[in-house]
Amino acid sequence: MIDQKTLAYINLYAVLGALENLCELAPEASALLTNKKPLSIGFDVKGGPAATITFYNGQCRMTDGCKKCDVKLPFGSPEKFNGLIDGTVTPIPTKGYLHIGFLLKDFTKLTDLLNKYMRPSEEDLKDPDFFKINTTLTLYVVGVAIAQIANQDEIGKFSAAHTADGSVLIGIDGGPAVEVRVKDHHFVTLKRRPEKFRAAMSFVDYETANALFNGTVNALTALGTGKIGMHGLNSMLDNINRILDRVSIYLA
Amino acid sequence: MSKAAEKKSYPCYSTAKSDEWYARAAKVIPSGVYGHLGPAEGQFIPVNRWPRFMEKAKGSYFWDVDGNRYIDYMCAYGPNVLGYCDPDVDEAARKQMELGNCTTSPSKIMVECAELLTDTVASIDWAFFAKNGNDATQGAILTARAYTHKKKLIFFNGFYHGVSPMVQKIDYPGVTPEDVANNLYVDWDDIEGFKQLVAENKDEIAALIAQPYDHGNFYDNKFPKEGFWQEIRKICTDNGILIIVDDVRTGFRLDLAGSDHYFGFEADLICFCKALANGYNMSAFCGKEFLKGAASGLSYTGSYWMSAVPFAACIACINKMKKINAPALFKELGTEFTEGLKKAGAEHGFDLVVSGAPALFYLRIANDDSLMIHQDWIAECVNRGLFLASHHNHFINASLTHEDINESLEIAEEAFKATKLLHPEIG
Repeated sequence: MIDQKTLAYINLYAVLGALENLCELAPEASALLTNKKPLSIGFDVKGGPAATITFYNGQCRMTDGCKKCDVKLPFGSPEKFNGLIDGTVTPIPTKGYLHIGFLLKDFTKLTDLLNKYMRPSEEDLKDPDFFKINTTLTLYVVGVAIAQIANQDEIGKFSAAHTADGSVLIGIDGGPAVEVRVKDHHFVTLKRRPEKFRAAMSFVDYETANALFNGTVNALTALGTGKIGMHGLNSMLDNINRILDRVSIYLA
Repeated sequence: MSKAAEKKSYPCYSTAKSDEWYARAAKVIPSGVYGHLGPAEGQFIPVNRWPRFMEKAKGSYFWDVDGNRYIDYMCAYGPNVLGYCDPDVDEAARKQMELGNCTTSPSKIMVECAELLTDTVASIDWAFFAKNGNDATQGAILTARAYTHKKKLIFFNGFYHGVSPMVQKIDYPGVTPEDVANNLYVDWDDIEGFKQLVAENKDEIAALIAQPYDHGNFYDNKFPKEGFWQEIRKICTDNGILIIVDDVRTGFRLDLAGSDHYFGFEADLICFCKALANGYNMSAFCGKEFLKGAASGLSYTGSYWMSAVPFAACIACINKMKKINAPALFKELGTEFTEGLKKAGAEHGFDLVVSGAPALFYLRIANDDSLMIHQDWIAECVNRGLFLASHHNHFINASLTHEDINESLEIAEEAFKATKLLHPEIG
């Protein structure tokens, strides 16, 4: 049921893409990059996605493609790249050997930190600040994963083919949100609250969003109790919810 | 007192007890109320303005657990065709209940019911009874495959033909790619696309299953283009493809002789449910003589499929629909109501689009492309006692009176005013 190419898109854009938000949200992540020279790492997956993460000034940003990067990590297949995320594959850079120290130390610490926030212990989740960061990061990861599944996964493409054009807001009331943009059945997710949208799915609080993402609350029940609100062209949300079902398979 | 001063006002209802019952339900029933009657699939937006449980129903009204009365244009999503608790239907059901209902040997009333149905519906020679619409569409598909020994089915995009995996979609929970591997899809009214599909799958297609017109959700309902069904009939006949008409929703509201009759063609198999027995639980798939053998050979039955009470209700219901010429009445009442709605909407700056048959009208406020204004207006209506659906076709029932329509229009007008306050951008 899992397509490795789709998983590679999710792992790169949604999971590693969350590093940029981690640096914004978690001071310990930002601290790892402070007072360091700017550096960019390119991930080039044969038969799959390619993107560059640039680290600078306590922050990082992801851009498409990896033609201009200081360190280039090539992967022979989506499976190999997914192995990097699983921790079963150690990449060998084809460019930027001088920066191997950053890769082995700082980048690894950063991804360990991401892992800590994305796969938290029950104890960590009791800390309200940690809980908020975990929920926010999960929203971003899920939001970006929706677009990857809609564009790459065969069943996701079926849902995308039935989704009307426009923007969809998925967000927490008074908190973070993502904009899922649909144009000609192609999906793009922007990690921001859209000003205009055709449909919205909103969670009344962080707890509801967290519970939904972790599968401890059912979306339909939460809609019934008003913990999740929907508004607008709900046929878009219907299709996105079907894709959301598949997100949990890929991110399990 | 001036006429304006006499006008009743319709304050918003409290649905606090519905909230309480829903909280209880959610603990012991998946999603509280699953399916089309529930707040998610039923598109209750926002949920706290909608009733979730009823206390009682009569005629065109139901009362929720908070004691609020609603003029109901959803009619239990169709089964309420003569009015809730219709005295004639209920009396027939009560009499049969005294004789027996679910018994080892079926009642002879099943035969009388089949005779009445085959006399009423133009294109059919036999009736196979079941319980829900899904039983009927599944039975028809099995019959088509059994007769043709072919596996593929054509669907028009936007379809809904029940809940069995084979008629759901590949991205629905619990459905596997194998479940829908034999399904072919084409757009409604696309004759060329249909021809191409038939050519590409020559000798593999058992049947086309289709609603008589496109009454999907979230978009204006569409009648077929002139000559559409006649051309489809010819292509299917020429290629050995059976036509299954899913008349579950539209049956008897357009034409007592069947919706294929209404559109001037003949189905090979036709499915009925909602309007058959005024809420008593039964459905039927019916067909032409040449398919009776195939239907006879099916391994297809259920514990309650031959219960006698619904047959008694069905006979009373069909006879009453004939007596009052129900389709003509539905058309008249539906037209009166929807014309009134459009007029009231226009007076307040709302572009209310009405589509589909008047008996099953579909509503959409077209002032914005997100349907948010529409949803706000629907919530204002429902919360004042006019029960409409957000994005589903509606249903007229025979007990609806002109007074009900007038009251409904007053509520709708008040709802337009309230919605305008929420959306000052409407001129």
